[in-house]
Amino acid sequence: MKGKASSNKRTVLGEKNLLIIFAVLVVLLIFATKGTFLSFGNITNLLRQTSINGVVALAMLFVIVTGGIDLSVGAVVGLSGMVFAMLTSSRLNYQFSSTAAVVIALVVSVMVGAVNGAAVYDLKVPPFIATLGVMTFVRGLVMYISSGRMITGIPSNFVSFSSETLLDMPKLVWLWLVTALIVGLSLKYTRFGRNLYALGSNREAARLSGLNMRLNYYGAYAVSGLLSGLAGIMLASRLAAGVPTAGQGYELDAIASVVIGGASLNGGVGTALGAVIGALLIQTLRNGGNLLGVDPFIMQMAIGLIIVVAVFFDQYVKAGRR
Amino acid sequence: MQELLRVEEVSKSFPGVRALDQVSLTVNGGEVRGLVGENGAGKSTLIKIITGAYEKDSGKIYFMGKEIKKNDPITSIQLGIFAVYQDVMIAPDVSIAENFFLGSHPGRFGVVNWKKMRNDAKKFLDEIGLNVDVRLDIKNLSLAQKEMVTIAKVLLRNPKLIIFDEPTAVLTDNEKKLLFTLIRKLKDNGAGVIYISHNLEEVFEICDTVTILKDGKLVGTYKVQEIEKVENLIPLMVGRKIEDMYFKQVVEKGPELLKVEELNGSRFKDVSFVLHSGEILGFYGLAGAGRTEIARAIFGADKILSGSIFVNGHRVTIRNPKDAINLGIGYLPEDRRLQGIFPPQNVEFNIDIVNYRDLLRRFMFFVDHRKARHLSSDLVEKLSIKTPGIGYPIYQLSGGNQQKVVLARWLSRFAKILILDEPTNGIDVGAKAEIYRFISEVVKQSKSVIFISSYLPELIGICDRILVISNGKIAGELSRGEFSEERLLALAMKYAMKKEDVA
Repeated sequence: MKGKASSNKRTVLGEKNLLIIFAVLVVLLIFATKGTFLSFGNITNLLRQTSINGVVALAMLFVIVTGGIDLSVGAVVGLSGMVFAMLTSSRLNYQFSSTAAVVIALVVSVMVGAVNGAAVYDLKVPPFIATLGVMTFVRGLVMYISSGRMITGIPSNFVSFSSETLLDMPKLVWLWLVTALIVGLSLKYTRFGRNLYALGSNREAARLSGLNMRLNYYGAYAVSGLLSGLAGIMLASRLAAGVPTAGQGYELDAIASVVIGGASLNGGVGTALGAVIGALLIQTLRNGGNLLGVDPFIMQMAIGLIIVVAVFFDQYVKAGRR
Repeated sequence: MQELLRVEEVSKSFPGVRALDQVSLTVNGGEVRGLVGENGAGKSTLIKIITGAYEKDSGKIYFMGKEIKKNDPITSIQLGIFAVYQDVMIAPDVSIAENFFLGSHPGRFGVVNWKKMRNDAKKFLDEIGLNVDVRLDIKNLSLAQKEMVTIAKVLLRNPKLIIFDEPTAVLTDNEKKLLFTLIRKLKDNGAGVIYISHNLEEVFEICDTVTILKDGKLVGTYKVQEIEKVENLIPLMVGRKIEDMYFKQVVEKGPELLKVEELNGSRFKDVSFVLHSGEILGFYGLAGAGRTEIARAIFGADKILSGSIFVNGHRVTIRNPKDAINLGIGYLPEDRRLQGIFPPQNVEFNIDIVNYRDLLRRFMFFVDHRKARHLSSDLVEKLSIKTPGIGYPIYQLSGGNQQKVVLARWLSRFAKILILDEPTNGIDVGAKAEIYRFISEVVKQSKSVIFISSYLPELIGICDRILVISNGKIAGELSRGEFSEERLLALAMKYAMKKEDVA
């Protein structure tokens, strides 16, 4: 009965279903747009549009794998961008270099993540509520420090980063894909990553297996904060300003991407590749709708339906196998 | 006697497995039918087809003379067929009383009459002889209490055919007696009972007839008197004779590995004992006596109020399971499903999760995957775990194989003191024998084992010493020469509460 491992069948299959959906969608769009969809310009544009949301989805993935949820990712995107903008603009008495500002913005983001971790692990507040509270707090904080106004005057070399390319591919896209690769490797091949799956699969069994519970919970939320912060800086570069409402609603897109990517909100299941494809799928729909001149409001309705249908299809196929 | 259930040549296949192959059987009213076979013999599949959880591929099922053409869980319940499963499933956050009336709350206009509900539940429980506060939430009950409540809930609905799947696995002797009384009462009322158990002594005690399945096929149905004794039944089930079920090797006692002094916790008092390498120390006691609690406290899973623990002669502080594992202690939890397995993950993950500390690449924090795969596939082979591969999800394995996976976790080199809490719970004879064999292999490697069990024959069979725990206190310690069921049982009752209720 023994045989070679076919790795984790469940997730591989999840990604396969997803790829089928994605491929069908792309083929349909190629025909419907008479090839425009496939043009190099459109593809790079699509990837650029996905990159920031894609990074936020990776942030969300870390927490969803533990069986939790992080609603504060969007707010951290806003906070990180704003912190960066304020430090580099001439608002304060001292003007920071871009590098220093990036580091500080990321540190602040990690701290927000650690607060989430503390609320969830030490105060035992359910993740949904804990991160909802932190989200609300951070949104208020962003408004307070910026007085609700846009902060401009960030360094031009930093702003141009978002339009620069490397090997004909926007740097933002590279940043996203490299992050996804690191996330994928960490989840699959590091002890920390394996521990997160254990937490999400069975918390009590994880404890009895000797996992350092505090470290892993804090870790998951801190990484989520870090990646959201990174996305915030990417967005600030694109917007060329610190915008108080930046990142609003990103948490929902991120959840949708991760879940479409085969992750389970019950925890223990989900991959970086899934989160990448999930984010791409949502953006492809938007992009395709745009090309076809579909009313954006109708497009939003369609995306809502697709989220449910995609997850239903995936579960249906899995159930059929049993 | 009137025919109640007739199953005719029922077959069922799953991808790659023929789970049931033309199985037929008839159960009459007033009959208690044993259903035995190794794990994977098709017992659960057959039950699930009778209760409508699965659809059969072919064959016919008649109930009270009428064919059930299209079966599903609701239809079967309406017909009066109920099953009490191994994995007790009742709403955990709801009181006992409310659990009894879920879906049919007494009251008017959608307003629940709480008082009537509690009184009705109480009255019913008194009638069947179960003494427990009906206001308690299910989650606050012990496994045994949960099961008794589940059974009571079924009885409340006047079953015609009731199926017990491994009902006594978590029950103490007293509860078992109560259960058997209930079964006899059901029988006298003309109901049919199908009784599935790996505990063949029980099958002989309670059943009139026994049906044996093997590899999805019917071996036969026999009157219990015809078979006469357990030894005659086993060869029919496994197709071979199990020599030396309780495999006991003489292992030289080594140095002291663990010493516990005056340990106090919320559910136990003044526990002291020593454990030497090469020793198998049994923990016996009635369910709820505090055996599991003592084990969990030593492992750092529960808080210790006072007392000291010495490992290898050094006094140690164990604040959490992580500390315990670093000291070389392993713990196989009582409840495999809730505390043992990581259900969505594969076999490899489930074995390696506690071993990643030993599987890291040098100078990097990455896991050495080749090493990890080797470790898990070696253990899968060593324990003859039946799985299509180490990449297979654990929840799709049978209970016995899941248990072996959880056990495999601790068999790597670092766990020197292995605490096994009811390791043979709900697994078949063959797998049990293998686990006993393993335990004796483990102690040969200058390791030691604490073996917690409610099942006396296995404790007597494999332990070097048995510590008897009664109501949170150590009631006595017997060494191998002094073992007898009577003495152990008497010690277990030593400090038992005056009134033997289910609590």
